[in-house]
Amino acid sequence: MTDINRDTIDRLVGIDHSSNLYITRHQRDKVAHATQGSEIGLFDPNLPGLSLQERLLAALLACHVTPNEILKQEYLDRLATIGTPRALIKTIIDGHFEILESKRLEAVMRFTHTLITDPIRADRTALLKLKEAGLSTPEIVTLAQLIAFISYQIRLAAGLSAMKSLER
Amino acid sequence: MSTQIIKSNGFTNESLEWKAWLDVIEIDHATPKQIKVLEDSHPKAKTSDYYLFLVHQPEILEQRSAAFNAIMYAPGGLSRAERELASTVVSRINGCVYCASVHAQRFEQLAKRNDIIQQVFDNPYTAGTSDRERAIIQFSIELTKSPDTISASHIEELKKYGLSDGEILDLIHSIAIFAWANRLMLNLGEPVFP
Repeated sequence: MTDINRDTIDRLVGIDHSSNLYITRHQRDKVAHATQGSEIGLFDPNLPGLSLQERLLAALLACHVTPNEILKQEYLDRLATIGTPRALIKTIIDGHFEILESKRLEAVMRFTHTLITDPIRADRTALLKLKEAGLSTPEIVTLAQLIAFISYQIRLAAGLSAMKSLER
Repeated sequence: MSTQIIKSNGFTNESLEWKAWLDVIEIDHATPKQIKVLEDSHPKAKTSDYYLFLVHQPEILEQRSAAFNAIMYAPGGLSRAERELASTVVSRINGCVYCASVHAQRFEQLAKRNDIIQQVFDNPYTAGTSDRERAIIQFSIELTKSPDTISASHIEELKKYGLSDGEILDLIHSIAIFAWANRLMLNLGEPVFP
């Protein structure tokens, strides 16, 4: 099991407390703290609106298409922990959104895919499709923040991984 | 401040407004928590569509603003002008006209010049007035477009032009936070031109 008390980025990138990179990163501790705080808030099981499974599936798709294997595995693990069916995960990774039973989940996945791969195409039409699929405005805010946060988390992890590989 | 107007490829350093496509929170109906998060986020948040929309989820906005403000305004490390330059380049690459305008203006205020802004708007791939600036710009483009290809050699390149570990971390943060910011600005509303 993963240590939930440990900073996700430090854990996934493998930044040891004794390393120079740890010291460098935690000289900007406010950033590390708000990064972890954002993740905790976005994946709070008690957040009303979008279910935790919907949020984790959006995170998984974002990591799959960017791509980032380390974070993808992390969100796969978390989906497994809450008992998400493997067939559902496979449908999403394969991009067969049209066969999803839930039209709401289909809309969430299409929006996620567009905003990750081609943010400029995530326009007014794309946003209104979420409304048509029944998402409330606060749910749309959560989804937009979630996808945008994953875009940030991936680049932060990628940059720190590169710094780490130079330290070795 | 009297600024020379730059317009290129649909990007500008003029002051723009931004309007949300969906319903924003009306300040008269905001909860005390929402008011507090708005006040902590930005001096003008209570009259900004962007913050009044994001505050539908106050706890998430609170953390986002803490990260953003710590990355862009913390003392020491990479100069604030160079952070703003990286943010402008990322916004140019992602096609976020609104963010590019705001951060081009901040760069100009801090650096007292705009030659590099013209270059970034014209063609970010060849932009840079020094080797250090070109290295910062190239890294900003690559981490934005292809985070999966970033390796030790990219970090070595930055070190070659004098960036310390702390400055490189600040640069990574400044690039990554605009992967976040651009996606909100692009998908939740649109810029309003003067």
